[in-house]
Amino acid sequence: MSGTSREEVTLPDVPALPGLYRRALALAARRTMRRAPVALAVPAVQHRVDGVRVDLLALTRFQQLLGSAARDAVPSAYVHTLAFPVAMSVLVRPDFPLPLLGMVHLSNEVRQARRIDASEALDVVAWAEHLRPHAAGTQVDVVLEVRVGADLVWTGRSVYLARGVRLDTAGTGGRRDEERPAFTAPTPTGLWRLGADTGRRYAAVSGDWNPIHLSPLTAKALGMKTAIAHGMYLAARMVDQAVPAPSGPLHWRIDFATPVLLPGSVTTSFARAGDTGHRTDVVGWSAKRRHPHFTGWVRAE
Amino acid sequence: MADQAGASNAPIPARTAVVIGGNRIPFARSGGAYAYSSNKDMLIAALDGLVARFGLQGERIGEVAAGAVLKHSRDFNLTREVVLGSALSPETPAYDLQQACATGLETVVGLSNKIKLGQIESGIAGGVDSASDAPIAVSEGLRRVLLDLSRARTTQQKIKALATLRPKDLSPNAPTTGEPRTGLSMGEHQALTTAAWEITREAQDELAYRSHSNLAAAYDRGFFSDLMTPYRGLTKDANLRADTSLEKLATLKPVFGKGLDAPATMTAGNSTPLTDGAAVVLLGSEEYARSNNLPMLATIVDAEAAAVDFVTGEEGLLMAPVHAMPRLLQRNGLTFEDFDFFEIHEAFAGTVLSSLAAWEDADYCKRVLGLDGALGSIDRAKLNVNGSSLAAGHPFAATGGRIVASLAKTLSEKGGRGLISVCAAGGQGVVAILEAR
Repeated sequence: MSGTSREEVTLPDVPALPGLYRRALALAARRTMRRAPVALAVPAVQHRVDGVRVDLLALTRFQQLLGSAARDAVPSAYVHTLAFPVAMSVLVRPDFPLPLLGMVHLSNEVRQARRIDASEALDVVAWAEHLRPHAAGTQVDVVLEVRVGADLVWTGRSVYLARGVRLDTAGTGGRRDEERPAFTAPTPTGLWRLGADTGRRYAAVSGDWNPIHLSPLTAKALGMKTAIAHGMYLAARMVDQAVPAPSGPLHWRIDFATPVLLPGSVTTSFARAGDTGHRTDVVGWSAKRRHPHFTGWVRAE
Repeated sequence: MADQAGASNAPIPARTAVVIGGNRIPFARSGGAYAYSSNKDMLIAALDGLVARFGLQGERIGEVAAGAVLKHSRDFNLTREVVLGSALSPETPAYDLQQACATGLETVVGLSNKIKLGQIESGIAGGVDSASDAPIAVSEGLRRVLLDLSRARTTQQKIKALATLRPKDLSPNAPTTGEPRTGLSMGEHQALTTAAWEITREAQDELAYRSHSNLAAAYDRGFFSDLMTPYRGLTKDANLRADTSLEKLATLKPVFGKGLDAPATMTAGNSTPLTDGAAVVLLGSEEYARSNNLPMLATIVDAEAAAVDFVTGEEGLLMAPVHAMPRLLQRNGLTFEDFDFFEIHEAFAGTVLSSLAAWEDADYCKRVLGLDGALGSIDRAKLNVNGSSLAAGHPFAATGGRIVASLAKTLSEKGGRGLISVCAAGGQGVVAILEAR
């Protein structure tokens, strides 16, 4: 995919997320004042950072927060955490058409080709593509590729939704929201109790200090009811619990339905899929409200 | 590369290990008579009684093995400290073992194997637990700061370490009964299994009622007179309700499985309460028993452990003994018909009834256990004839010692063969065969 005609911008280092969030805020303020119309395309660029190193102490803290074994292998979701600021640097470009703040994370799909060791230097490339209408606004894919030398070891595709942002195209606003089938909870196998500080603790190990995760006040400032759990926190726990000792290729996907409000409880179901035995299907839901938070699967190949 | 020993190996001919006797203190309800007694205190009390009963003062025992599930870090060498605090010879070696609720039974298995191999002549197995005097840990934040502080060399490093302390770090962490990998408590896990096997509230209350009436009857005929030492004012298990009835049990409100679609059936009456207590068992070779003029209550024939994948809901958390049982029976060429007494630990009435239902289910036994048909039925009249954990209580690591001593005594009185099944946290379980002499 990276072979398409995209201009490549090489950054000297992985940018720090707080700075990126500040830039997003400034951009949002400027856009509000100018009321500029939404551009019809994502910029044809990809950002690149070479030689990203894993900090062992930070890795240990991340692994321990999730309750996973602190191995020297990098958890699949942690690769996303490492590479994510590179993707964000694309999203805060002045020519990127959607406002970063308030964008909703819809799904993540990751293909990992092999075990990645914490000692390996990672080359990260990120770009956005497939800007398209959604019933509730506009969605876009953010793609991350991670290489070790010439080997593509990890590819992630995240889908984000900018609510209420309309592409100025002829025709309808994309597919209508089909009537969602009533949610039937599977047999539970576990319960995640998430304290009020879940977002702050995950921010501390992931560097993702998005204010919607930190406290009720900062979340309300951005239009949320209260603080919500990081999607990648849920994804990381899902992947780790489904395959506690990954040794080879890993393929996983998570689709987010409704945010997990903090503090809160997520009832979970982990079920080995009958056909192959290598796939684990996962559902996380609210037992109280009887609605799903996320569905996903993890396949150890 | 599954371990096939369970089903196909013939038992290795070896020396015989026997149960000579046992001793325990009455089990107290959490926060009750032993609220301020430590694990060490209670295990010493149980051991003192055993030493007195069998005249072991100053004796060097081959080895003492015991454990506790809820353990303070200062008790890293709990069993050895207990030996040093007892009347046994200080030259008696000891080790700690931990296999959740199967701890006590596993110490019996381990030491009896050493006896069979000729490595030791005598052994004392057992366990203790206190839900009252549970360890409370400092928070993860405070722990990190304290550890960093202890490594700091300069004043500047010390200040830096202290500066990271946050007010919330000062609140402590108490132990929970939750499974680390699922976050569900043991009761909630069992509620899933109970619902899956469609075990009724009535059946669970009936089992709880029989546990109380059987234990009360055993006390009445003096069954425990040589199996128990009074402690801290208790002479009987504090949880025993000799006057309970099915009507009273039926009035209790469900406490587990309330969020499930199936009706909630598990109450405080048909679930074991948090309990404090200790139990020990004296084991030996036949030569040791004869030369010391000690009784031989029963032979320890064989044992098998199993574990199940409960994390993905493939199997119930407490169903591992269901898997261990056919492997143990096949290896010894036995069926349920060959047994006269069954001791199935009552973690919850639902655990016992789900296990019985699973062994009677031909489809499950074929599909999950890989058998040709149902493993078989257990005659309820032979089940937990002197009461079990629902009535006596369940100080986690002490339960194995209670069961082994009670079953061995029953076998010495009535003859025959007995089967033990103990489930444990982490999806584990241990089953064992005892035989009358």
